[in-house]
Amino acid sequence: MSATIIDGKAFAAEVRAKVATHVAKLAEQGIKPGLAVVIVGDDPASQVYVRSKGKQTVEAGMESFEHKLPADTAEADLLALVDRLNKDPAVNGILVQLPLPEHLNEDLVINAIDPAKDVDGFHISNVGLLATGQKAMVPCTPLGCLMLLRDHFGSLSGKTAVVVGRSNIVGKPMAQLLLRDSCTVTIAHSRTKDIEDVVRGADIVIAAVGRAEMVTGEWLKPGAVVIDVGINRLPPVEEGAKGRLVGDVDFASASAVAGAITPVPGGVGPMTIACLLANTLTATCRANGLDEPEGLTA
Amino acid sequence: MPTTHHRAALIDGKSIAADLRLDVAKESAALTKLGWAPLLVSVSVGDQAASDLYVRNQKKHAESAGVAFEARSYPEETSLEQLIGILQGLNHDPRINGIIIQRPLPDHIPVKALQKAVHPLKDVEGMHPASIGNIVYNDLALGPCTAVAAVEILKTLPMDMAGLNVTVIGHSEIVGKPIAFLMMGLGATVTVCHHMTRSVAMHSRAADAVFVAVGKAGLVTGDMIKPGAAVIDIGINRVDGKTVGDVDFDSVAEVAGWLTPVPGGVGPVTVATLMKNAVMATRMQMEHYRDAYDKTDV
Repeated sequence: MSATIIDGKAFAAEVRAKVATHVAKLAEQGIKPGLAVVIVGDDPASQVYVRSKGKQTVEAGMESFEHKLPADTAEADLLALVDRLNKDPAVNGILVQLPLPEHLNEDLVINAIDPAKDVDGFHISNVGLLATGQKAMVPCTPLGCLMLLRDHFGSLSGKTAVVVGRSNIVGKPMAQLLLRDSCTVTIAHSRTKDIEDVVRGADIVIAAVGRAEMVTGEWLKPGAVVIDVGINRLPPVEEGAKGRLVGDVDFASASAVAGAITPVPGGVGPMTIACLLANTLTATCRANGLDEPEGLTA
Repeated sequence: MPTTHHRAALIDGKSIAADLRLDVAKESAALTKLGWAPLLVSVSVGDQAASDLYVRNQKKHAESAGVAFEARSYPEETSLEQLIGILQGLNHDPRINGIIIQRPLPDHIPVKALQKAVHPLKDVEGMHPASIGNIVYNDLALGPCTAVAAVEILKTLPMDMAGLNVTVIGHSEIVGKPIAFLMMGLGATVTVCHHMTRSVAMHSRAADAVFVAVGKAGLVTGDMIKPGAAVIDIGINRVDGKTVGDVDFDSVAEVAGWLTPVPGGVGPVTVATLMKNAVMATRMQMEHYRDAYDKTDV
């Protein structure tokens, strides 16, 4: 194995510490950032995320508001809650945990959030603001990937990047962010022909397709930097045991060719919540007309 | 008599535009019958010399497509606040269905502030962040005219868009990037190049279709094009009193399979797309008003 392991866990801790330092400074001015998390229903994975988000929010010195609603919550009730949070000056960030139960219209709910408080960056206005190079709330996962890349390279200008996967949550905003940092960007996806060859041209590879170990060492240019956004659970080896968590990249073969690589778990994952806290801080600063903390947004 | 041999088939933008205008005229007539005759309002501020020809051209095309067109101009010293007030007035008037903001604007008027002030349902230029956001999310409502026109032109060619290798040269917010997202939405594998790209030729030579939108005459030469590829030239440059694109016409025409001329390529389709947006916007507004009425419990 030759690749440097990019330690997302350690870097996320640094981001959280940076956020906490800024939050402490804000406290001197009587400002306490608040993050409201809304969860509907009792999806176990969502519950784990929400708990973890709440805990890290408090650890960073911010206020955490949790709103747990029953699975059969009416759309109007959910919209009324979002409206109330939009108007609540103690709330600087609003996150509606996805997926929502089927009877609720996700687009409608997400776009009901005040774009300035949309710390997930999924509101259509934030998508457009990011695409037009304006101040936006940037989706957490791609923001986390960008931070890791900037930390690794310093400047990304002129690098060739391939984003594998064109999801609204990761692939598309990732491409925007890389273009903004002056990378030459290709977005590859399920319809791409000879995807291996496309990926082999890249200095930077972002894998975000949700297919276990799809990208192998053979797809990589020697020395490429690989960011693995995928989180997939393999089927258990023996009955009753839990399957192993793997990314979209075949770590063993890829790490023999890559220059640097993020592991799964412990790579991009921890960055996502750290970036959520960073976004909440950024939103708070903007709401109060203060300078944004440096290095915590795109 | 000397003859020039061009391998590339020239794409006739004027004829594509004429077809589009026929469709628009039909839709406009249908809307007029329903009491919603489409009306575009053009807003110019300050010195009109630069945009006058352009506005007159738009008016001519609007009228030939059955869309009413009203040009309004305001003095140089009009403040941003006044202009936003004017736009809000236009937004609220149900008889006005589309708002065009002519450039250049005086230095004290930031164009993005005005674009943001146009109601997304009246944003026929497709410049509002929400319009761009919809493009990114692959929900093609009102898109930026030039980008939509360029993609519509490519779609007239006998090529399968899914899996097509596309290179976009130029990553402007209103042309290059929206083209990239529109093409990605159609299933193409898209690479975006710009001034920081190390080898544009390497990327353009790999492409089945190349879009060029940089604003530099002679930027793309025949040796940068894969034989038989489609080349869509979006540049408009003045060289020795002649209007030329970004493509070195003679050398590219020797290699490409299809090529848009400048003038007579993307330009006419762009104006026709503006008119198409006008009738689409009118229909969306009509439905918006009627929906609101249907939902009112009276």
